[in-house]
Amino acid sequence: MHIEKFNAAVMQRATRWRRALGMMLALVLCVAGLGTVGVSSAQAAQVSEVQGKTFKVATDTTFAPFEFRDSSGQMVGIDMDLLHAIAKDQGFNVQIQSLGFNAALQAMSSGQADGVIAGMTITDERKAIYDFSDSYFQSGVQMAIAKNNDAIKGYEDLKGKTVVAKTGAEGEMFAKKNAAKYGYTVKSVDQSATMYEMVKSGNADAVVDDYPVLAYGIQQGNGLKTVTPKVPGGDYGFAVNKGQNADLLKAFNAGLANLKKSGEYDKILAKYLGEDSSVKPATADSTAKKSFIDLAKDAFPALMTGLKNTMLITAISFVIALVLGIVLGLVRVSPNKPLSWVARVYVAVFRGTPILVWAFFFYFGIPQIIGHSINIWVAGALTLSLNAGAYLVEIVRGAIESVNHGQMEGARSLGLSYNQAMRKVILPQAVKIGTPAIINQLVIMLKDSSLLLAIGFGELLYQAQQIYAANFRVTETLLMVGVIYFVAITLLTWLANIVDRRMNKR
Amino acid sequence: MSATNETTVNETTTGGAAENAAATHETHQPEVASAAPAVPEHKGQVVIDVRDLRKTFGKTEVLKGIDCQVHAGEVISIIGPSGAGKSTFLRCLNGLDTPTSGSVIVNGYDIADPKTDIDKVRTQIGMVFQHFNLFPNMTVAENIMLAPTLIKKVPADQARARALELLRTVGLEEKIDANPDSLSGGQKQRVAIARSLAMDPDIMLFDEATSALDPEMVGDVLQVIRDLANKGMTMLLVTHEMAFAREVSTRVIFTDAGIIEEEGTPAQIFGNPQSPRLRSFLSKVL
Repeated sequence: MHIEKFNAAVMQRATRWRRALGMMLALVLCVAGLGTVGVSSAQAAQVSEVQGKTFKVATDTTFAPFEFRDSSGQMVGIDMDLLHAIAKDQGFNVQIQSLGFNAALQAMSSGQADGVIAGMTITDERKAIYDFSDSYFQSGVQMAIAKNNDAIKGYEDLKGKTVVAKTGAEGEMFAKKNAAKYGYTVKSVDQSATMYEMVKSGNADAVVDDYPVLAYGIQQGNGLKTVTPKVPGGDYGFAVNKGQNADLLKAFNAGLANLKKSGEYDKILAKYLGEDSSVKPATADSTAKKSFIDLAKDAFPALMTGLKNTMLITAISFVIALVLGIVLGLVRVSPNKPLSWVARVYVAVFRGTPILVWAFFFYFGIPQIIGHSINIWVAGALTLSLNAGAYLVEIVRGAIESVNHGQMEGARSLGLSYNQAMRKVILPQAVKIGTPAIINQLVIMLKDSSLLLAIGFGELLYQAQQIYAANFRVTETLLMVGVIYFVAITLLTWLANIVDRRMNKR
Repeated sequence: MSATNETTVNETTTGGAAENAAATHETHQPEVASAAPAVPEHKGQVVIDVRDLRKTFGKTEVLKGIDCQVHAGEVISIIGPSGAGKSTFLRCLNGLDTPTSGSVIVNGYDIADPKTDIDKVRTQIGMVFQHFNLFPNMTVAENIMLAPTLIKKVPADQARARALELLRTVGLEEKIDANPDSLSGGQKQRVAIARSLAMDPDIMLFDEATSALDPEMVGDVLQVIRDLANKGMTMLLVTHEMAFAREVSTRVIFTDAGIIEEEGTPAQIFGNPQSPRLRSFLSKVL
């Protein structure tokens, strides 16, 4: 009875819908018909919302073959090539922000980026927070072990072992889901290259990673092999914040459809995965291993860019920190109690908190408070200068206080004011005392600047990460970076000591 | 222009004070312009007037009520055992230590009053320290020229000429471009005295000026102080040199445990001490 009535209502509604659909279909066909006559005008009308606009798209740093830097330092990979092809097809521009997977999502949440493309699996949890495009890649996960490991032949051999997986990625979900069943423990880290190094070095026994990444890595000669078949998994999608940038999403879907139709989509995939790499488990290191010299040659341009950025952000931050340190150092020793207290609180706060917390706060936190994004140079310089400034306040204070008390009394007894005595008598001596410690702080700051890689600042170590994420030559790349840091810091110290000797007549 | 005038005026003042002081011991002298309260005395006008001065550091009362008037041209030695408050008393006179209570009037300025321009008062009071406190970041000349050029805006060439002149009076003109670190203790102290004199002070305070010196250096420094005394400079010396105090002073003050225990002419203090404590002190140091 009830059901019949309900059915009738549904039927009625369905008919109405069908009629509406029919009309829309006719309209679409009409437009399509026109399209055959004037394609360009129809396309222009369709994408006018995004035409000519520039979108900031955040991505991972190190997710080969989806995103990584080639030897010229260019971001390439399936995600990058697809995004650029879609952008070209749809007539919008993209500005890539290579931040790391978690940082990319944070950046989008805080409004620093319009979208994220980072080999991200479409899940129900994520759908609650983000709007996804159509799937642009059907992924899956696969397990790999060290090439020379003959003990592990399948999941059953993992009892009591450690399996490493990527934080927040599909591989981690798979690994955790089966951890109890096979009796292994899961360890999560941030980067594929790190995971592979852990397996090779024996810190973990197996890795579960997205199969395209794994296949690409094995082909690059990362020293791993697979023993189990691929587990078909989720779909990758391009994400925007829920309810935002609908035009961008629409354009992405339209562009993707066009690429698939034109065959360009298949071409891009084949470029990175080979013709049928999705089927057979990859084993051999087919490509010959590059020599260290060739590796260094390839890495050189990107590393020099990194060194330049490292030096520049250090220089900018150091100048700010020095001004801050001297001003607040003077305030700190001044007889003015409330002001001195302000300086003391500043020092306590910035000495008592890690640099990384401030990097995240300035780059991701502040934009959510003030409502617009912050330039990464500004965030980076704020982080480094406020941190080093706190130490410089203490260095300046210590230097001033280590000038013999009699110097101030001698100057004051002649009738010099406090400020005159400070400027003419105390500070020149304090500078001499404090300069070695200040130079030391400069060196510390240069090294600390590497922490800015966490927010995706393109400094030296960040560039290195990009490189070894693509070529999996972690040790050699880090060795190069270590040498560059060492040379740069040695030169800087040498230069600073010359300035010190000249200035302070040592 | 105005700076030049100022220097000239100050030099005249020093000369005047000298004449004045030389005369004060015998005759009444018409008062030179001064803001100090006129006290009917047969000496020069009162330039330092200390009433019930008390100074406490934390819970320790170092000065327990000092009363003392100093007249222009007087040379006063302050003697007494360590911890008697001699240096603290001296430092309260130019505000290096702030009096806890009581009043300290110097050249008409109330030192204890926070509204007093203490920097200005200090230009009129020279102070010489036990440890010299020369500025190691400057040459001897720069040490002496700093205050005149910075505060009185004396042109550098004039300030240097004056520095040379002062160094000549302390016997160190050849050291004008030396670094303080290259000088002996006695030489440093004589430069420090020259540095104080460069501001043409009316009053000089010597805080154990020879205590940190090797014995063979003491004589040169005492000679410079003696010369100043002979020129009529108003001076207060905290000293352990009893023979020198006896020779150069017009008055000797014996302090013990934060009070002035006894005072008088050198002849009275050293020749006929009254209080048992002074007698005990003298028996130890003489």
